Amino acid sequence: MFVEVALPPPIAVPVAERPALVRRVLRAAPPYLYLAPALTLLVIWTYRPLVQTVQLSFFSWNLLPTQPMVPAGLANYERLLELPELGQAMLRTLAVIGGLLPFTVGIPVAAALLTRRIRGRARVVYRALVFAPMLVAPVASAAVWRWLLDPSAGAVNRVLGTTNNWLHETGSANLGIIGITGWHLLGFAVLVVTAGLAGINSDYSDAAQLDGATRGQVTRWITLPLLSPTLVFLTLMTVLLSAQWTFPLIDALTQGGPAEATTNVYYLLWDYSFHSYDAGLGAAAGIMLFLVFGLIAAGLVWLSERLTFHDD
Amino acid sequence: MRKTPVALALAVVLATSACGLGSTASQEAATVTRVPELRPDQQVSIVFESYNFGQAGAWTDTFNELIGKFQQAHPNIHVTAQKPQGNSPNPATDTVPSIQAQMAAGSPPDVAQLGFSDLDFTIHGLGAKPLDDLVGKDAVQANFDGAKYPYAPTARTLGDWDGKTYGVPFVFSTPVLYYNASLFTQAGLDPANPPKTWDDVQQASQAIKARTGKDGAYLDCLTKSAKDWCFQALVRSNGGHVVSTDRKSLDFADAPAVEVVKMAQNMVNTGSTPKLTQQQGYEAFARGDIGMLLETSAIQAQFIKGAKDKWDLRATTMPTFGGKPAVATNSGASLFVFSQDPAKQRAAWELIRFLTSEDAYTTIASKIGYLPLRTGLLGDPNGLQPWAAKNPLITPNVQQLAHMEPWVSFPGNSYLQIRDGMMDAVEKAVYQGADPQTALTSARDAATSLMPAGR
Repeated sequence: MFVEVALPPPIAVPVAERPALVRRVLRAAPPYLYLAPALTLLVIWTYRPLVQTVQLSFFSWNLLPTQPMVPAGLANYERLLELPELGQAMLRTLAVIGGLLPFTVGIPVAAALLTRRIRGRARVVYRALVFAPMLVAPVASAAVWRWLLDPSAGAVNRVLGTTNNWLHETGSANLGIIGITGWHLLGFAVLVVTAGLAGINSDYSDAAQLDGATRGQVTRWITLPLLSPTLVFLTLMTVLLSAQWTFPLIDALTQGGPAEATTNVYYLLWDYSFHSYDAGLGAAAGIMLFLVFGLIAAGLVWLSERLTFHDD
Repeated sequence: MRKTPVALALAVVLATSACGLGSTASQEAATVTRVPELRPDQQVSIVFESYNFGQAGAWTDTFNELIGKFQQAHPNIHVTAQKPQGNSPNPATDTVPSIQAQMAAGSPPDVAQLGFSDLDFTIHGLGAKPLDDLVGKDAVQANFDGAKYPYAPTARTLGDWDGKTYGVPFVFSTPVLYYNASLFTQAGLDPANPPKTWDDVQQASQAIKARTGKDGAYLDCLTKSAKDWCFQALVRSNGGHVVSTDRKSLDFADAPAVEVVKMAQNMVNTGSTPKLTQQQGYEAFARGDIGMLLETSAIQAQFIKGAKDKWDLRATTMPTFGGKPAVATNSGASLFVFSQDPAKQRAAWELIRFLTSEDAYTTIASKIGYLPLRTGLLGDPNGLQPWAAKNPLITPNVQQLAHMEPWVSFPGNSYLQIRDGMMDAVEKAVYQGADPQTALTSARDAATSLMPAGR
C-alpha cells in the first residue's frame, strides 16, 4: 500500500548570496589585476631565480644538461667557508667600498657646493663636464684607461715620472680599479647632490643670514643636515653596489689579478659560476652574499631613519 | 582572508617554477653510430667555433680564407664561423666556458677547437663524439696518413683517450725561445750562440739589462692567463710532473716544480724579468723592449711585424735545466665534433678533414706560424720548403716536435679550478714574491679535494 507523501517544499536557494560573492570578488579584483603583470614579472625574474639559486646551492652541478645534479647537502657552504679566497675577497670588497665613498659622497658634496656659486652658462658647461664620464661605457673607459696606465707609454706614468705597472702590481691594482670606478661615478653623484641641494628651500639660509650667520655656519648647520637624506642614499648605494660597479672594469682590465689583488666577492662569485662552472658553489656564495648584504642594507636603512633630518 | 589565495598562488608558482634546473638522474651516453655520407645535393649548415677568430689580424684572416676555400669545395655545406663568447684578452681562455654556456642553452656548436688542457673534460664532461665510431677508425687513420704527408708521430695521438680518437690535433706550438739579436749584439753577446740553459738566460739577461737598459727575458708560462702548457714543459724539463701518470695525485708541489718556480722568481727578483702580464710581455718583446721571450709560435706573426726593419728576430729551442734534457710540450688545440644530427656530424667531419689537409697546413704554417703537423710538407718544393728556407724561425719548433710530450689535462669536472689554482700559486710566487713551496703546497692541498674520487 502506498501512501502518497507530499514532497517537502523546495528549499529556498539563497540565490541572492552568490552574485554578491561574485560581485565582491569582482569588486576586489581590479587592484590585483592591475598588480598582476608587475607581480608576475617580479616572480619570474626575481623570486623564481632566487628560489632556484637556493636550490642549486645544495647540489654539485656544472650546468650541463647532460650531467646529473648531485645532491651535496651543506658541502658547498662548508667548502666556501673553508676557502681562504672568500675572506680575502670580502676584505677587498670593503676596501673598494671605503675607497669609493670619497668619490660618491665627499667630492660630490664639495663640488656641488662650490659650483652653486657659479652662475649662467659656465655652470651648465661645468656640470656637463663633470657628468660626461658617466656616459662612457665601462668597457670603453677600460680600454682608454689601459692606455693611460700602460707602464711604458702611458700618460699617467709620464706625467708622474714613475714607471709603475699600475693595474698589474698587487699594491696598486685595486687602487687603479677604485680610481677608474670613482672617475666614472663622480658625475652621477654630483648630479644627485645638486638635485638634493636644489630641493632645499632657500628661505632657511636667507633667514639665517639675516640673523648674521656666516656662509660656513649656514652650510654646517642648515644645508648639510637638510642634505642628509641624499647623503645617506648615496652611501647606501655605494655600500650595496660598489662591487657590482667595479665588475666590468675588473673583467676587462685585470680578470681579478694580479695574484687575485682585484678579486672582490662579485668577481669571485662570477668566477665560480661561469668560469669554473661550479654552479653549486657559486649559488652558495650568492646566497651568503644576499644574506650579508641584506642585513647590511637593513642596518643602513634603520640608521638612516635615525640620522637623517627631514624638512617636513 | 583575501590575501590567502594570492599568497597561495604565489607559493604554487614558486614551487613549480623552481623545478626548472636540471635532472638529478645521470643520463646514459647516447650510443654513437656510423654517419652516412652526404648526398651531393644535401644542404647542411654547421657552426664552427674557434678561438682563432678571436684575434684580429693573421689568425682571423687565415681562417676566413680557409673557410672560404672549404665552401668552394663543398657548396652544399654552409659554415658559420664564430669566436668563443667572453672577453678575456686571450680568447683561448674562453673556449670551454663558451661551449658550456651554449650547451646549457641547448645549442652547442657543431665543430669546436678546444685546448688539450680540456681534453679529459671535453670527452667526459662535454661529451665530444668519438670520431672512431662516427666515421670509422679507418677513415680517421687515413686522414692522419694524409694524401701525401702523414702527421708527425708525436702529434697523432694527442686527441685520443683509451685508444679512441675524439679530436683531431689541429694547431699547436712548442715553447720557443725567441730572442732579439740586435739587443744581443748591443749587449756584447753572440747572437749566433743563444743561451742553452736557464743559467745562460739569467746571465744574458743581466748583460742586456746592464748594457742596453732594456729588459732581459720574459717567460710566458707563469701566469693564470698563460694556462699551464708551457709551465708543464718547464716542470717536465726539470724531471717532474704536475699530475702523476696514473692521474690520481697532484705532483706540482714536488721539488722539480718548486725549483722551476724558484728559478723564475729569482729572475724577477734580480731584475732579469720585468713584472708584466702575458699581453704586456709579448707586446713589449714585439716592440723590441725585451731581449728574450719563451713563447708559442702562435703569435710569431706579431713579432715578425714588430721586428720588421727595426731589429733582428731569431728563435732557438727551449733552454734546459743544467744537464737535463729539455722536454717540450704542445700548446694549442684539437677539433672536436659536438653535433647530434647525423648530417651535421658528417659535414663536421668533412670540415675537419679539410682543415687538417696538406693544403690547409701550408696556409696555416706560412701565415700564422703554427707548426705544420704534416712535417713532410717542409721538404716538399711545392709545399712549404721554399717558405721554410726563408723562415728559419720554424726550425726550433720542428726540432722539438720530434720528441715532444703531450700537454696533460687535469682530471674531473673541477679541472679548471685545479689548473687555475696551480697557476695562481705560480704567479703569486714568481711575480708577487710569495714563497714557492708554501704557495704551491697550499694550492695542491686545496686542489686535492677537487680531484674526482675513484678514478
